[in-house]
Amino acid sequence: MSSETPNRIRITEYLDLDIDREQWMCNRCNHVLGSARENYKKGCLLHDRDPREVHPALVAATFNFSPDPSWVRIVECYCPRCATQIETEYLPPGHPITHDIEIDIDRLKERLRKGQFIIRGQRLEAVE
Amino acid sequence: MPIPTLAEKLQWLKPAPATAHETECAAKVLQGDYEIGVQITNDILDEAMEVFVRSSRSYFGVSGDSMVAIFTANGDLINASCGTYLHAIIQPIIIKFIHKYYTENPGIRDGDIWYTNDALYGGIHNPDQVALMPIFHKGKLLAWSSAALHTTETGAIEPGGMPVSAKSRFEEGLNLPPIKIGENFEIRNDFLEMYSVYGMRAPAMFISDLRARCTTADRVRVRLLELADKRGPDFVVGLLRKMSDTAEAAARRIVRDLPDGKFRTVVFNDAIGMTPALVRSCYLTLTKKDGGIIFDFHGTSPENPSSYNVHPQAVVGHIANFMYEYMFHDLPICSSTFAMLDFVFPEGSIVYPDKMAATSCCVYIGMQARCATQNSFAKMIFSNAALWGQVAASPGSQHTSQICAGLSQWKLAVSDVLSFALNTMGQGGRAASDGMDAYGFAWCAFGRAPDSEQVESELPVTVTLSQHWKDSSGPGLHRGGSGGVQHWMVHKVPHLVSMCMGNGSKVPLGQPLFGGYASSPIPGISIRKADLLQQMSEGNPQLTLDNREVLGQKTIHGDWNFEFVARTPKMYDEGDLLFGFSGGGPGYGDPLERPPEEVLEDLRKQIISDWTAQNIYKLAYEPERRKLDVEKTKQLRDEERRARLARGKSFEEFHKEWNKKKPPEEILQWYGSWPDGKPLGPIVRS
Repeated sequence: MSSETPNRIRITEYLDLDIDREQWMCNRCNHVLGSARENYKKGCLLHDRDPREVHPALVAATFNFSPDPSWVRIVECYCPRCATQIETEYLPPGHPITHDIEIDIDRLKERLRKGQFIIRGQRLEAVE
Repeated sequence: MPIPTLAEKLQWLKPAPATAHETECAAKVLQGDYEIGVQITNDILDEAMEVFVRSSRSYFGVSGDSMVAIFTANGDLINASCGTYLHAIIQPIIIKFIHKYYTENPGIRDGDIWYTNDALYGGIHNPDQVALMPIFHKGKLLAWSSAALHTTETGAIEPGGMPVSAKSRFEEGLNLPPIKIGENFEIRNDFLEMYSVYGMRAPAMFISDLRARCTTADRVRVRLLELADKRGPDFVVGLLRKMSDTAEAAARRIVRDLPDGKFRTVVFNDAIGMTPALVRSCYLTLTKKDGGIIFDFHGTSPENPSSYNVHPQAVVGHIANFMYEYMFHDLPICSSTFAMLDFVFPEGSIVYPDKMAATSCCVYIGMQARCATQNSFAKMIFSNAALWGQVAASPGSQHTSQICAGLSQWKLAVSDVLSFALNTMGQGGRAASDGMDAYGFAWCAFGRAPDSEQVESELPVTVTLSQHWKDSSGPGLHRGGSGGVQHWMVHKVPHLVSMCMGNGSKVPLGQPLFGGYASSPIPGISIRKADLLQQMSEGNPQLTLDNREVLGQKTIHGDWNFEFVARTPKMYDEGDLLFGFSGGGPGYGDPLERPPEEVLEDLRKQIISDWTAQNIYKLAYEPERRKLDVEKTKQLRDEERRARLARGKSFEEFHKEWNKKKPPEEILQWYGSWPDGKPLGPIVRS
């Protein structure tokens, strides 16, 4: 687990934002995943997983409780240092990876500077 | 024909500014009186909801898949009792339409009963029908009341109200724009006769549900008038205005305190009607900026010639289900809570189809928008100190929506759904805990699974097992809740017509969260000429009624069928068996972080199999006594982490292979252009 730092905000279970350095970081091992103005997945290791390895067929039939691997794949995103599975996405083969989180860094900094937010326990607290 | 435009609908979702009279009345509602007044509206609505559930005949009604609501005189929603949040927020469209077009002819009068089920005019889909009553106090319009409920029949080309083979709205049976069906507090007989012919397949259910809606709306009307008589009409006007203003201020505070930015989720559906086909059922970009949020659906696949399209306001209805379950769970169900939310729908998409489109199965697309919303919000609110505990993966939504139609064992015409498989879905894994097992219906948080014996006494089936469905939940640090399974045996009648609506046989629905896995797909399963009844009557001691053993060992003999879950009507004979599944919830977080003791507990509760414990959670234990090997588990998990590092590729390397891939052309016919889902040509509907 990462240590408590005043400039770190938890954005997901495994993804921290270092607001001063504008960097994505792994919450579990502090590995820097890249610029927070970019897709954090660019800093991950990615794997194209056959969904049948996770959801195996329960019966011998065409429709068998298992996803069809020609329809959908599991894209697994790992931290390159600690191998935590940071995110998974079920996508048709070849479908673009989603840029799922684009925090407005400038606006967040501004709101912190104006005292609208404070960071406590790595989370944003609104100040009335 | 004044079908409301999208711009009108979106405008009518917004609460009207306060009039001078409303402001004056609201200022006179003192503290204490306000809180008591709010509670009185809650009590009125809860009493009416009880009336509704007890008066309804369909299993959706019995399950509580309904909503009762109070509106201002101009049609803004102020408070409701659920049931389902699906109808919340969007019903003002109907009242504002009536005000705009029908004030002069046929007029809005005391004692009117209005009715509609047409999604073009503000509903969800045509099985969802709503009765509305204006509430006049001493000749002046004071408010409106409504009662909405899904009835499982519409006189469509297939029984059950959601025809999977419908290609246009003209094959979907009853579609009523807002119409006055009663005057002077009485339903008109000529309307009842017209209405009843659409419900021939199940007249008792069809007419009972209609009357249940009307009597429920009237109960709200009567109680609100009692309040007006006691405290004066201005108190009611002021109370409703103050409730709207208070709810709006609270919702604006919640939204204001979220970080600005863009948050995206893409989800896929594997069916249009009974045809397996891949569509990008929702591509959602949430833009949070200052005090508002824009929901933009550009990138969603084009409309298609099936009933799996959804009109825009019905998408908003599905989103309301998420918003009130998680974000606004402590606010009243009130139009003003959506005042800061805006929606952008691309014309010609599956979420904004042509007016002639079939949309009776719209819920399968609308739910995908809800799932995308929930996933995107999770990424927006996890940083918020007050809200992170509300983060959860979307609920399981794949299910067997099995319709029973024909003559019951009492020789009564029936056409209803076996709703256990709806109301036992698993909740998605949560930020601080697992999803709840069999928590409810993804479309109706407070839906209840009906009593099996009641089902057996009214429908020609015997429920041979009801249990959690092993391995239905998505694995994760916090696993999804387990779904449920029932087996239904045709019983006490020689034949039964059955069909099934649904999706999720090829592709898991929704997306998991933060490294978890989705829940499993479901097939459509039946056994014709099943020998279960024979085995039971012979008292076979080897007979098992464990779903997984029945499936794995085929302990029930007969002609097994594994099909796509959506199926057109077929005749089944006495003794034939149908399987009904509700989806488990997707998982939250990396499964390798799930505490080993919790995995063992899942095994004990038969929520997961040994295969899942060993292969997904990498648990080492003695299978017989289920004794945990802590060291070996750590070793196995470390090995898996090393394996991840070995097989994982950098973003650039990954894309060298990934970009060469594409699904087979034959499943992309209704997807739109690959991969961005743009329309490829017009849809022709006859």
